Amino acid sequence: MDGFLYGAALQWKLDLRSRTMLITCYAVPLLFFAVMGGIFTSVMPESRETLIQSMSVFTVTMGALIGLPPSLAEIYKSDVKNAYQANGVPLSLGLFLTNISAFVHLLIMSFILCFIAPAAFDAEIPVHPGTYFVGLITLIVVSLGIASVIGLAVKDTANTSMFSILLFLPSTMLSGIMFPSDMLPKPFVMAGKLFPATWGYAFMTESNSAWHNLLPLLVIFIAAVLLCAVLLKKIATR
Amino acid sequence: MDALQVKGLRKSYGKKEVLKGIDLCIRKGDIFALLGVNGAGKTTALECIEGLRKHDGGSIAINGTMGIQLQSASLPAHIKGMEAVRLFAKWNKVSADTSMLTALGVNDLASKQYQEMSTGQKRRLHLALALISDPDIVFLDEPTAGLDIEGRISLHAYIRTLKARGKTILLASHDMAEVENLCDNIAILKDGRIAFAGTVSELTRAVGKHYNICIKTSQGTENFEADNIGESLISILKNYQEKNMDIQDIQVNRGSLEQHFVKIARGA
Repeated sequence: MDGFLYGAALQWKLDLRSRTMLITCYAVPLLFFAVMGGIFTSVMPESRETLIQSMSVFTVTMGALIGLPPSLAEIYKSDVKNAYQANGVPLSLGLFLTNISAFVHLLIMSFILCFIAPAAFDAEIPVHPGTYFVGLITLIVVSLGIASVIGLAVKDTANTSMFSILLFLPSTMLSGIMFPSDMLPKPFVMAGKLFPATWGYAFMTESNSAWHNLLPLLVIFIAAVLLCAVLLKKIATR
Repeated sequence: MDALQVKGLRKSYGKKEVLKGIDLCIRKGDIFALLGVNGAGKTTALECIEGLRKHDGGSIAINGTMGIQLQSASLPAHIKGMEAVRLFAKWNKVSADTSMLTALGVNDLASKQYQEMSTGQKRRLHLALALISDPDIVFLDEPTAGLDIEGRISLHAYIRTLKARGKTILLASHDMAEVENLCDNIAILKDGRIAFAGTVSELTRAVGKHYNICIKTSQGTENFEADNIGESLISILKNYQEKNMDIQDIQVNRGSLEQHFVKIARGA
């Protein structure tokens, strides 16, 4: 347990030293928030009601899909995994530690948005904070699950970025955070339902019937966990 | 007492049989070198013995705990030397031996990130990580590759210290001088089989007493190779005498381990 806790704390520090994680979890979401927050609230004043939720979805999707896969690729697509195996460290440790660290970074950034959005853009605090936080945590976990699949499946870091962006763009564009999803053509609405961002955003914004969004998120998460297990086994087999 | 015994070890990649039933026996406290040309199967054999790679047949008996320094190992770019030591020590539930860290110069790397370390510093750090749990058997795959002379000398000195402390060391190397200096026993892998196993002097005897003869005359220098030094030298000198050539200097050297190795490994 001592090793695991030290490893988690160390990974947190390593992520702070890594520019990728800082940029994807903090810098870009803050910049997006500063620019888009101003645009959204001036063009559509009613967006103040969902600004915190939409910015949280953007932060989580960006930080998880773009931020985590390079950290995983650094471990599993390089000789770092050899050092782990040779020194008796289970291969799955890298996956757990990077996920825990990314989870904490994303949660911190979401809290920052929650605190500054009302002051900066007069954004409304979620009506049901409990539902918002459960939705947020679920979305972070599921998004990290998908990011883990990318990090473990893709052969090198260059491909990692390409696949991350291929998933990130439709996730944000079709989730309803940029414009209401009922304005989109039906095929795009259907396509958007493949991504956790859509369900996560609906979870955080719907007040009474939010919990039905949990099932698709759970299905995506279980699929991601199973894929990760298969990929880890494949990586471990020589 | 044997620290390691390997019998009939087999490994194939697809249809290609890389190890065709190798036998090894390493005594406790010995430094043992596994030699072979590139592609002979050294790293595969080591990784099978270390348990990092599945083998298809044969048996491996290891009498003690293992520490492994791989030829290709890396660490996250931003991890600092001492953080890596603490991580692996905590994971193995041991506390790192400070004298070992000092001897390998890892203390100097305490606050240096992995990406900023030189090849030699990385090698020393990986060796420290391999030794962190004070293993009985240490596997070293090309331990001095990429090291400068100073680094090589200090690493050799530390390997001798390990031997003096009763550790068994199995190393794979291309550096014949290193092998000749350090090792009690060697095995040469050729085409997935052990072509030779024994001491360095047994290898010399096995391939014949190989000598290099260098004769300098007023007309230049000529080099000869010979197995039977007596007969060969007399015949060469006779030849020079018949040609009335003025011999200025004669040098006779025993063949190097490198030459013996090439003779067996390549069948030269």
